[in-house]
Amino acid sequence: MQYLTTLPSWCGVLLGTLLATAAFGIDKPYPGPFVENDDMLMVVMPRTPGQMAAFYEARGFPEKALELISDACFVTVHIENKSQRVIWLETANWKLGSNNQPLQRLDKEYWDARWNEINLPQANRATFGWTRLPVERNLQPGEPVGGNIVLGGDVRKFNLEARFLTGADKRGDMLEMRFQDIDCPKEEPHQ
Amino acid sequence: MKHILMLCCSACLLVLAAAATGAETLPPGVMRIDGTPAPALQLDNLDGAAYDLKATHGHWRFIHFWASWCGPCRKEMPGIGRMITALGDSGLEIVLVNTAETEDEVFTFLGIVAPDLLPLMDIDGQVTEVWQPRGLPATYLVDPSGNIQYQALGGREWDKPEYLEFLRGLGPPASQGN
Repeated sequence: MQYLTTLPSWCGVLLGTLLATAAFGIDKPYPGPFVENDDMLMVVMPRTPGQMAAFYEARGFPEKALELISDACFVTVHIENKSQRVIWLETANWKLGSNNQPLQRLDKEYWDARWNEINLPQANRATFGWTRLPVERNLQPGEPVGGNIVLGGDVRKFNLEARFLTGADKRGDMLEMRFQDIDCPKEEPHQ
Repeated sequence: MKHILMLCCSACLLVLAAAATGAETLPPGVMRIDGTPAPALQLDNLDGAAYDLKATHGHWRFIHFWASWCGPCRKEMPGIGRMITALGDSGLEIVLVNTAETEDEVFTFLGIVAPDLLPLMDIDGQVTEVWQPRGLPATYLVDPSGNIQYQALGGREWDKPEYLEFLRGLGPPASQGN
């Protein structure tokens, strides 16, 4: 398994069930690389194209949408605020990289443009939206959040540095979680 | 004896202070919010009957957004069924809103998990978008005047005593509203 260092001192997350933007706490053993300490739990779970296509196909997504989904790298993330203060999920503060090059996420604007091109039905768009990780959330004490981050291009492995401001006014200490060599499985092309 | 008296006095002062500040004990994951007016909610249920939130003013309403693909929603739903049974005719109106799924998907899921529940169908997900929950599942508690007073973060074990006690204590039943 890949790993995982974090600051200040973390040890090595989720998703019994994929893809929910809010959640119960997750039971151990976590189904992917994780970092956990007294403040936070963060789990990342790479998904194969086959897993993602099957999930959305079962929700009635058309073939053209499944092709677009299969071309991307989906990683399901679960985060839980275990502290007694507000922790800010702001994916703009995250760094994704591969081979010393920064990676860009495929964001809402990207997907909205693709869905417009193929006239994806509104219900499918709503479902896809709810399965993405929110870009910003003031996580309250005890609050979990989950969802997918999506990368484009031919990425095989990548690193993730996730930074979180704390406190209602964002003036608390900054938390950081690092994941190295996260897999981006490609071996299951959509049939 | 002197120490016991001091302890009793301290305890009384704490209780009085809590009462004076309106301190409220909420179950885990339930958050008081600002009492903003609830957005419109007009949908048909799984049987095709129309529902309008405005028409139910006078009740506390438990508005719950969910989808069958969402794992925490699946985990939570049986507890909601037991919560409804436990609350009986408490006056709390339970409103389940399925987000962007088909009747077949919902019927299949609820038929197994909670066959007595009859959700509203937000077929295209647009009502859910207006409510802007923090994720799925999401639960709002709307007071008899139509204002959102509480939100639950993520899935909750609604049939546990602390949640049932909280829900029973929400306030006036339907007859005292409007």
